[in-house]
Amino acid sequence: MTPIIVAERLTKSYGPRIAVDSVSLEVETGEVMGLLGPNGSGKTTILRILTGYLRASSGTARIAGLDIARDALAVKQRVGYVPENAPLYDGMRVREFLAFMARIKGLAGPAVPPAVEAACARLALEPVVDRQVGTLSKGFRQRVAIAQALLGSPAVLILDEPGNGLDPKQIIEMRGLIRSLAGSLTILVTSHILAEMERMADRVAILLQGRLLAVRVLRSAGAAVRLRLRVRGDEALVRACLGRVPGVHAVALAAPAHSGVAAYRVEVDGPSVAEPIAVRLVQGGFGLLSLDEDPVDLEALFLELTGGAAAAPSPEMA
Amino acid sequence: MKRFGALLGKETQAVFSSPIAYAVIAVFLVLLGYSFTSILFLNKIGTLQHIFFQMAALLLLLLPVVTMRLLAEERKTGTLELLLTSPVLEIEVVLAKFVASMAVVVVMLGLSLAYPTVLAIYGTPDWGPIYAGYLGLLLFAGALVALGLTASSLTANQVVAAVVSLGIFFLLWMIDSLGYLLPDPFDTLSVNLSLLAHVSPFVLGSVFLSDVGFFVSVILLGLLFSVRALARR
Repeated sequence: MTPIIVAERLTKSYGPRIAVDSVSLEVETGEVMGLLGPNGSGKTTILRILTGYLRASSGTARIAGLDIARDALAVKQRVGYVPENAPLYDGMRVREFLAFMARIKGLAGPAVPPAVEAACARLALEPVVDRQVGTLSKGFRQRVAIAQALLGSPAVLILDEPGNGLDPKQIIEMRGLIRSLAGSLTILVTSHILAEMERMADRVAILLQGRLLAVRVLRSAGAAVRLRLRVRGDEALVRACLGRVPGVHAVALAAPAHSGVAAYRVEVDGPSVAEPIAVRLVQGGFGLLSLDEDPVDLEALFLELTGGAAAAPSPEMA
Repeated sequence: MKRFGALLGKETQAVFSSPIAYAVIAVFLVLLGYSFTSILFLNKIGTLQHIFFQMAALLLLLLPVVTMRLLAEERKTGTLELLLTSPVLEIEVVLAKFVASMAVVVVMLGLSLAYPTVLAIYGTPDWGPIYAGYLGLLLFAGALVALGLTASSLTANQVVAAVVSLGIFFLLWMIDSLGYLLPDPFDTLSVNLSLLAHVSPFVLGSVFLSDVGFFVSVILLGLLFSVRALARR
């Protein structure tokens, strides 16, 4: 795949304070890339530079092959942006606001109503389309903000802390929405919540104090994944049974048996191996209590990268 | 042009959907109506000279209320980020806000046409000074709006923007009085910077190109500073 966002040695300083320190990053077309880090780690500043709101002190960035400084308008045409806390014009009605955003994104008069209708349908905004933006719940505000970002068919969607201020149900909906947009769009999203990022992003870039510490793959089509199982039965027999399933590379005990039920971590070729595992275990007479993908332990990774010295981002769950 | 049209529509709607514009227009007309009536009954002369000076003073006091929110509010609520990350130019944003604010001025001045109409019904006013006065007030208000827009572009606090605008307006209004204390050539400079010195000829019925040029220059400078303030990010 080709990278659609390429940032090279981006630096932003405010006097002596360096907010972003020589960050180089590539985002592949169609992937969901997460920027993870504690508050003040430079996530928002990077997004603001990429969207043209801030100018980098040094370094360059290209989006869809266009330089963000030289071709600012063309870049903005290709990027949909949802700033943190979804700032919107509270006095406007939803339809009116989206029509305004469509027009300033260059949509011609007759193309505006269908584009607004399509965005409303995609974000399930029909029930509130004639309400004033200022009266909406945070969940709907966030949807309206995403809807405006999708107007004009951008190639890249950039979201800054989309889960901020949402309740758990709204966070789950938001995550589902972002995952549903992945593939058709390249998505760059920030969060300081580990669990949220684990569930949303294909890859994650970990930032601390303006520096990029590492980029890790969280999920990738066709790549090896880890499964976590809870199985009732003799440990040795379960291991043997799992070992015979095609696509299984390694089996490790995640938690020792308690009341005959043990937890296992299984390295497999891909998520599709889960089904033959379940079939083989059930046919073998074992009790399969649960079978899930085991996400990368971002908390452990973050602590490992920072040497445990830095405060980890919030592990709070959605 | 399409984008500018959208921005202008949104700004005009924002200005006229807020009670501020109506409060400003109402106060302007009530105070002006009171003055017009009392002056007309006192001297019984069909002229608007006094009224025009009073209109200038009222614009100076009231326009900071109109301009204070223009960019400060966008900065405070974060919508400036939304706007400036959309494919629009800073100059389009600034011009749309300027034109929308001038629409309030045009409504104020338009409604004040009731006074020359009354004079025309009951007397035979000299129309030259009236046309010149309105032209002067329009240019004067344009300069105030452009300067107010600059003040609003520098802060996220609307009250600060209003107070700074008022300070600048007052300073430029009476800076000519400082001329008596200053040596040459600063005395001439201070007189030439005075808003009062440049609006007075219009009110008295004289249109000088130098006065028109002064107000146009202030308007362009104000817009330029506002664009620069937005672009400096």
